[in-house]
Amino acid sequence: MSPALQTSGQPASAALRSFEAQWRARPADSLSPVREQAMQRFLELGLPTMRDETWRYTNLRSLAAQSFVDAPRMTRGEIEPSASISLLGDTERAATVLMVNGHPALLTADTTINGIEINTIREVSRLDPKFLMRFIEPLSDAEQRRWSLLNTALFVDGLYLKITTQVATPLVILHVATGNGVNDVAYPRVIIDACPGTSATIIEHHVAQGVYTPLSNSNTHIALGSDAQLEHYRVFATGGGATHIDSLDIHQERGSRCKQFTIALGGGLVRATLEGHLSEPNSSLDSYSLLVGHEDRHVDCVNIVTHAARDTRSRQTARAIASDSSRIIFNSKVIVDAGAVHADSQQSSRGLLLSPTAEIDTRPQLEIHADEVKCVHGATTGRLDPDMLFYMLSRGLDRDTAQSLLVYAFLADVLTGMSVPSARTSIENALIAQLPDSQILRKFR
Amino acid sequence: MLKISNLCARVAGKDILKGVNLEVNAGEVHAIMGPNGSGKSTLAQVLAGREDYEVTGGSVTFEGRDLLALPPEERARAGLFLGFQYPVEIPGVNNVYLLKAALNAKRKAAGEAEVDAYDFLTLIRQKMKYMQMSESFLTRGVNEGFSGGEKKRNEVLQMLVLEPKLAILDETDSGLDIDALKVVSAGVNSLRDPKRAVVLVTHYQRLLDYVVPDQVHVLSGGRILKTGDKSLAQELERRGYDWVLEAQVA
Repeated sequence: MSPALQTSGQPASAALRSFEAQWRARPADSLSPVREQAMQRFLELGLPTMRDETWRYTNLRSLAAQSFVDAPRMTRGEIEPSASISLLGDTERAATVLMVNGHPALLTADTTINGIEINTIREVSRLDPKFLMRFIEPLSDAEQRRWSLLNTALFVDGLYLKITTQVATPLVILHVATGNGVNDVAYPRVIIDACPGTSATIIEHHVAQGVYTPLSNSNTHIALGSDAQLEHYRVFATGGGATHIDSLDIHQERGSRCKQFTIALGGGLVRATLEGHLSEPNSSLDSYSLLVGHEDRHVDCVNIVTHAARDTRSRQTARAIASDSSRIIFNSKVIVDAGAVHADSQQSSRGLLLSPTAEIDTRPQLEIHADEVKCVHGATTGRLDPDMLFYMLSRGLDRDTAQSLLVYAFLADVLTGMSVPSARTSIENALIAQLPDSQILRKFR
Repeated sequence: MLKISNLCARVAGKDILKGVNLEVNAGEVHAIMGPNGSGKSTLAQVLAGREDYEVTGGSVTFEGRDLLALPPEERARAGLFLGFQYPVEIPGVNNVYLLKAALNAKRKAAGEAEVDAYDFLTLIRQKMKYMQMSESFLTRGVNEGFSGGEKKRNEVLQMLVLEPKLAILDETDSGLDIDALKVVSAGVNSLRDPKRAVVLVTHYQRLLDYVVPDQVHVLSGGRILKTGDKSLAQELERRGYDWVLEAQVA
């Protein structure tokens, strides 16, 4: 089964050809029609380039020159996530579901954990392909959705989580990336389906194990039924050589509330897209981004929140810290559709530069097609405040301690937004480990 | 204790201090008064070690050590304290964290063990009560959302906890109502001790009714033009500064 592939005028890159080869090798399944469309579109559009608006700071040229193959499928026994790799480690006995290179590695007991029904996408699509289709995005040519098209075409399996009650304990999805060579690629896919009136906390933690980390093109789709509440985290903590492209879509019905935390602690190149759709009245999205760059890492974060109904509310809070020669990009956009009266949005992004060779680019944007809306935004980037530093030095604190405390304080707005104490503690621990003078900060917790 | 000789300093390319001479002995309280822009705050900041203030001449010794050779944190650990005219807000850094870190830095420099957590809280509560500060202070960020008066009380609280040998208080009295002024003054007086010294930088004689100085200096145009006892402050209050400046020109 292979569609008549056409490419976009230019000669296809090695990467494009390899993705096409992967596609040809995929066996047919119940999702084949939509996958075929997705692949066709992807090949027509090609890889995004720096001429594309949301890709202007991120160069994929070296990636385009690679020929990718599927990352290995591994059994649970081949992966031994050590305690240190698991985010909630020993601090909390949170249930953990394991995904390896996009393949769920479930225990037979993993059918319901803490009130969350857990299944593989493959199994759901076998039982009820029509049901599953509602979570496969309407395909879009939008440039920020390019990699989602590829994920839709090529994901082999994934996780389907159904939240059916009010769940108190967080559920951790541990995504382990581990490859055989430099050309591996994985397509993790997660669907979170929150039934009306339910609540839960889900933490997606991306880590790498072994010498080679596959290119990860991951996609998470969240659907919140009316009055559902979800606190969702995605934490990128793969190593310096890893490239991670993640797309997150959140669809919210009437009265639903979502708190979303995007935390980039690692990865050589992390591109994290969030698209929030406030589809029905009184839905509300709080998005927090905590982006930490060091060495020569590159973090590119794109948030697009669409207010499609009246009385919807969104908040975007981003804090970026760049040291060494790292680069952080934060693009946020709020779109208020016609008819979405009384939409209320805030965008706040602050950047902190810790070295002269680091760079932070932030760009808040607004696109308003309705009257009677309240949309505010603010963006600042600078260095550590010399007055604050001097004040602390004049009290006898040594320079390293003073600087560390100021860096940490800078992140407080995001950390205090976390309402699950165990999640906050764990993320603080992981974060502190990435900051200069982590041993000092631990003392001040 | 403190000996300032012919100190000259420049801020943003402009000469502000043009040869300051001042000697403060243990047990003394000195007041430095003067018109706006005379260099009072610059002197305080230079003594505390502010890096963007460039010292262009002269010397300062503190207990026989070359003060200007020390970075600000070592000056603090050696027992020098600056009460800021405009205490900075540091959201996200807890007041108690800062106080504890400051106290431990001082203890470490003196070869003492870190303060016990329980003893520390007991100490803070006692000093806070003395300064009539509310409990909510404990959980707030450094000076975050404090009123002007609360910030000044917090400066004095920090001073009481750190027990410096030399406290330089830069307009700690400005912006205080009379009740707050009494509390702050009591705080300063409680630190008076034959082994310690206090330098008050102030605009108004009002503070000196409560904290009575041994010496009063008039700083103007980057130099100390006149020195006297507490009656000089009263005379300045009555006559202003012009007569001092004119006497100098003449």
